Amino acid sequence: MTTVSNWRWPTPNGLPPLPLVGTALGLCVVLWLTAPVVEVDFVRLFGSIGRMADFAGQMFAAPDWQYLPQLMTKMLETIEMTVLGTAIAILFSIPLGVLAASNATPHPLVYRATRDLLSLMRALPELVWALVFVSAVGLGPLPGVMALAFVTVGFMGKFFAESIEVVDPKAIEGVRAHGAGWLQVRLFAMLPQALPDFVGTVLYILDHNLRAAAILGLVGAGGIGYDLVMAMRLFQYDRLMLIALSIYLIVTMLDRASDQLRSRIIHGGRR
Amino acid sequence: MSAISVSTVTKRFPNGFLALKGVDTEIAPGSFTVVLGPSGAGKSTLLRLLNGLETPTGGEVLIGGEKVDRHRLRDIRTKVAMVFQQFNLVDRLSVMTNVLTGRLAHRSWVGSVFYLFRQEDMAIAQEALARVGLTDKAWNRADKLSGGQQQRVGIARALAQRPKVILADEPVASLDPVASEEIMTLLREICDRDGITVVVNLHQVELARRFADRIIGMNAGRIVFDGSPAQMTQSVLRTIYRREGYADDNSLELALAYA
Repeated sequence: MTTVSNWRWPTPNGLPPLPLVGTALGLCVVLWLTAPVVEVDFVRLFGSIGRMADFAGQMFAAPDWQYLPQLMTKMLETIEMTVLGTAIAILFSIPLGVLAASNATPHPLVYRATRDLLSLMRALPELVWALVFVSAVGLGPLPGVMALAFVTVGFMGKFFAESIEVVDPKAIEGVRAHGAGWLQVRLFAMLPQALPDFVGTVLYILDHNLRAAAILGLVGAGGIGYDLVMAMRLFQYDRLMLIALSIYLIVTMLDRASDQLRSRIIHGGRR
Repeated sequence: MSAISVSTVTKRFPNGFLALKGVDTEIAPGSFTVVLGPSGAGKSTLLRLLNGLETPTGGEVLIGGEKVDRHRLRDIRTKVAMVFQQFNLVDRLSVMTNVLTGRLAHRSWVGSVFYLFRQEDMAIAQEALARVGLTDKAWNRADKLSGGQQQRVGIARALAQRPKVILADEPVASLDPVASEEIMTLLREICDRDGITVVVNLHQVELARRFADRIIGMNAGRIVFDGSPAQMTQSVLRTIYRREGYADDNSLELALAYA
């Protein structure tokens, strides 16, 4: 009995901190209130286990090898859209990131305006922007790339800005004290130090964009998405499995490659 | 004309702390001055004012007769280099690039966009690295070097700027005794050979005695001693390191007994 009453939290009175308890309680209440709204219904969930198993079983149909050449072309198109969209986004995100970082921006108003612009760009998902661009420039991968680049700038610019904001101020002072100009301080003190974070962001976003590019075909903006949706609608499980598998394969390969690249850049690969 | 002229400078920080309470001093060209004083005496603030990293609340600072003014900082900083306690290098850049940042003040942004430097700037940086004995480390990443070596890169960066004045803010506070000796010798040699005016903040009374031409003692935002090392007696040290509210400061006596 004495052992239990001996436990203490590291606070002055030994009780858990009130804000933490309050937040946890508040979260529980919110969850309890909102669960019915989104129809979380366990009875229904258990009732449909049979149908889910049925669907999963159908996936293991013999693959439709005839479809393979078309799959490869479409996957290649998806990867090209991803890389191109991300590359274009990097070009725009670096300057926008500098403008949107509180320690690098030329003026607080520019900071505010850039932040607002970035949140506008990422306010809607790729699919919605793709619809906009499809009606603007017509069907095909081009509106897909535009939509990807557009939304990616919204995210990447914000991430870049946040990496710049946490850069070590000592190095900035070191470069500034030697008379470097506005742009020179940003180029020589801020960007090199933010680079590992930049690379991490780009690799994460590449991963995300590949999956985003895989559904853009849904609205006619190129990539594997159109085939994916058609296979589902026409119950062509022999194709669906191949598509899902190839997306998984490429995401995994990208993940492996990005791990390698990241550690090389952070620890300084070249000597 | 004095290299540095400080007249009735006061500095109040936004949090209300009065770091400098009217400081007046002239520093002769080519001299080696050490500023001593307890932590919080205003040594760092004084040094940072000379480079324009801080702006005085009152009074003015002249470098080579020119006023340190917010609008002419770049021009002032081509003449005044700074060496920091924590080195303040850009860790991820090579030693060479760090030294080359000392040249940026003399160049416009056009080449900088592509990280390009002129041949003569490369030569100046090479020469500065040779002065501090780090030619073989030129292409290493700055954060792969030891503390003493990083501080020598800091000094090379200052030299690459071809300054008239080098300010060093506790340059040996994070170094071992051997590296400290090397850094102080290097700074003294730069002062003697290139005629560069050097101002160093120190906590080590013994180093101050050995290396300085002139010692300025500060306490609570005021200059309380100004003279040669020989004039700095035990009673002077007691004035410099005196603490408010300690009538009979045992720690002070003990510390000075071995100074």
